[in-house]
Amino acid sequence: MIARPIYAVLEREVLRMLRQKTRLVSAMVRPLIWLFVIGAGFGTVIGESRGISYQSFLVAGVIGMTMLFGAMLAALTTVYDKESGVMRMMIIAPLPHYWIVIAKVLSAALAAILQALILIVLLALLGYIGSNTNFVLLAAGLVVTSLACAGIGILTASFTRSLDNFAAIMNFVIFPVFFLSGSLYPVHDLPEALRWVASVNPYTYGVDLLRHATVNPQAMAADFALPTDFAVLIGFTLVAVAVASWRFSRESAYEPMIHILTGKKS
Amino acid sequence: MIAPAISEPVSPAAISAVGLVKRYGSVTAVDGLDLEIPAGQFFGLLGPNGSGKTTTIHMLATLVKPSAGHVRIADVDVSRHPVQARRNIGLVFQESALDRTLTVRENLRFAGRLYNLAPKVSDQRSAELLELFEMTDRRDKPVATLSGGMRRALDIVRGVLHEPRVLFLDEPTIGLDLPNRRRIWRFIEGLRARTGMTVLLTTHYLEEAYPCDRVVFVRKGKLVEEGNPQQLVANLGKHILEVEASDLDALRAHLEPKLGECLVDGEIAFFRYAEEDLTTLAGLQAEVGDKTTAWRVRQPNLNDVFMWISAGKALKS
Repeated sequence: MIARPIYAVLEREVLRMLRQKTRLVSAMVRPLIWLFVIGAGFGTVIGESRGISYQSFLVAGVIGMTMLFGAMLAALTTVYDKESGVMRMMIIAPLPHYWIVIAKVLSAALAAILQALILIVLLALLGYIGSNTNFVLLAAGLVVTSLACAGIGILTASFTRSLDNFAAIMNFVIFPVFFLSGSLYPVHDLPEALRWVASVNPYTYGVDLLRHATVNPQAMAADFALPTDFAVLIGFTLVAVAVASWRFSRESAYEPMIHILTGKKS
Repeated sequence: MIAPAISEPVSPAAISAVGLVKRYGSVTAVDGLDLEIPAGQFFGLLGPNGSGKTTTIHMLATLVKPSAGHVRIADVDVSRHPVQARRNIGLVFQESALDRTLTVRENLRFAGRLYNLAPKVSDQRSAELLELFEMTDRRDKPVATLSGGMRRALDIVRGVLHEPRVLFLDEPTIGLDLPNRRRIWRFIEGLRARTGMTVLLTTHYLEEAYPCDRVVFVRKGKLVEEGNPQQLVANLGKHILEVEASDLDALRAHLEPKLGECLVDGEIAFFRYAEEDLTTLAGLQAEVGDKTTAWRVRQPNLNDVFMWISAGKALKS
């Protein structure tokens, strides 16, 4: 029953992603710049640590980055959708309104996975992803990490009234989530306070999981055990979807939206 | 053996609302509305802007919770089973419910899938509807490239794709020019003839509600008059006389004893005239014509009905 409406939302997301070529290109260019510029720059300073080069360490970080940005941007369109025709179509459709939230999360995760897959192909061609990659673990990591990133996005969207202040969301959500994680440096080597912040950041566990998959396990580059990563990511996603659904279906949050959608002031 | 009692076939109303109230803080948008609309009826909910029409539609269509009262759509309780109720509801919002970045076909497939329609079914239905709306050649065009009238037509196609029992049209012609308004009405007429669905319409272009089977006038969230529009207009009289004059009061003093009480709206006095034969009026015009700046005799319409209702005057002549 619910499969077809969800498919509709997923298909729309993919159609839009393929139509916005610049969004797709920039989603590929951003992580590659990090890998080559930052990675190479710091790599010469740091050299090898724990038996791997800094660039190899950074591969998981840039895959994570692509998914974080991809999923966040897609999930945040929910805020824009609140003022658009698509939301009118969805709220009058015969499905409980929390399915709109779930469908948006799934479609944001799908957009993130597709972007990550393209990046992984590029990285493989460039020789950064090799035979020591655990592809089964990588696939699982893509799924749970993209869902958690979409969860961060939908949670942000459910507390955001308009995207006018997108710069604020960038500064106060996306950048902190990215920098205060294990994307660029091992969490265990961070100072106490930062280590604590990184440990409550669900995205940290996504990057850690990807690092398990992309770096030779003997290198001990990952910070947490695999079961911890999975548990935190899945748990966070469920909580985020529950909170966002609750926010969305709550009448006080919902009726103002009806009025925005119908251009009614009082 | 006792023969089963022959009972009247119960045909539940398509839309039934009892004691509908919506309050926003201290503002009462809808104030105790009762509606009983039989299946297949073309029903007009009329009133000025801000009279609670849209809020009423949203309560009937499960989108806004009533502060009090009950709604049943096709015999489904809207508050208890909103999802099931929405299956029977088509709603065309005042504002577009389309994705401008997608094509006509993609929009309709998206809408169809939300109602669990297979692409084959929604493609076939949209082909028929687009043909009815003379838009077949636009199927693969992005919605952003369509004209306002076509977008509204597409919105209606989107609203009826799942073949709802009840279609709500909230100001379907608002913001459109006259040719497009006529087109939209032709489409709605064609659609009703084809499907026989119940249509509830709101509009503040009152003259557009003339083809309705029944209309109700709402004011400040309350029902103030109801009836068949042709009948309501007929009750008003055969003609409406509009008179303008520099000294309107003197003219009223002269005409009111002969024609009955008038309504004054700005510079114009409106008189109702019950007779088909216009000789009396022609005589009066000969008497006072030189004191008037305008003297118009025309057919009454729903705007006149609403003016008289608003003024609190009795409708029967």
